[in-house]
Amino acid sequence: MAQMTMSEALKWVADLFEEPLDNINPLTSREEIDAWDSLGTLSLLAGLDENFDIRLPIEQSSAFRTVGDILEVLRQHGQLMNQ
Amino acid sequence: MRFILVDKILELIPGKMIRAVKRISGTEDFFADHFPGFPIVPGVLLTEMMAQAAGKCLDAERKSRGKAMLAKIISASFRDWVHPDQDAIIYADIRANQETFATSNCYIEIGSNKVCTAELLFAFLPYEKLVEGYVDEVLESYLAENP
Repeated sequence: MAQMTMSEALKWVADLFEEPLDNINPLTSREEIDAWDSLGTLSLLAGLDENFDIRLPIEQSSAFRTVGDILEVLRQHGQLMNQ
Repeated sequence: MRFILVDKILELIPGKMIRAVKRISGTEDFFADHFPGFPIVPGVLLTEMMAQAAGKCLDAERKSRGKAMLAKIISASFRDWVHPDQDAIIYADIRANQETFATSNCYIEIGSNKVCTAELLFAFLPYEKLVEGYVDEVLESYLAENP
């Protein structure tokens, strides 16, 4: 998959958690996203694996607190354009 | 109503793919209500068939992570009716297979007709949560005949 822009990455996160895009920004916390529970974490792991070939231990993903933490992983794996 | 929706495994590569069969005789209780005069297998049960087949494929690996449990129906489509007196051939290809989750692409064929498809996400339940001595008889039967 080609590198995403920030807006594309936020849309990917919004779609993953079935959340309106307007509710998602890098500062959005885990607590603000209803679907970011234990199942949401599994969906995130599966999504990162399938879409970006990124494999994370569950301990690392469980430690995420904000959407920005997800974006940082994408950036570290070359999936998010630097801005 | 018993809830074993896979009668027999026909082909299995643990952790990778499975082909199995469920005979739909027409004597199943749900046909009385679903629907009178037009008996068809509910889509939720077709989805459960696919989930059970994919789950057996994952469980066949005998990993310590636990028993595969359906966690999410990512997508499901029901393209044709499944009537009484049919053999549902269930296919599952394991797409991702990790320590904490697995995903599967599944479908069911009646004859050569693909009647439904699903993408499923699985989590794993530690085996000690199940009743002591729990055995998946359908899976164990296949593995005994195909060591």
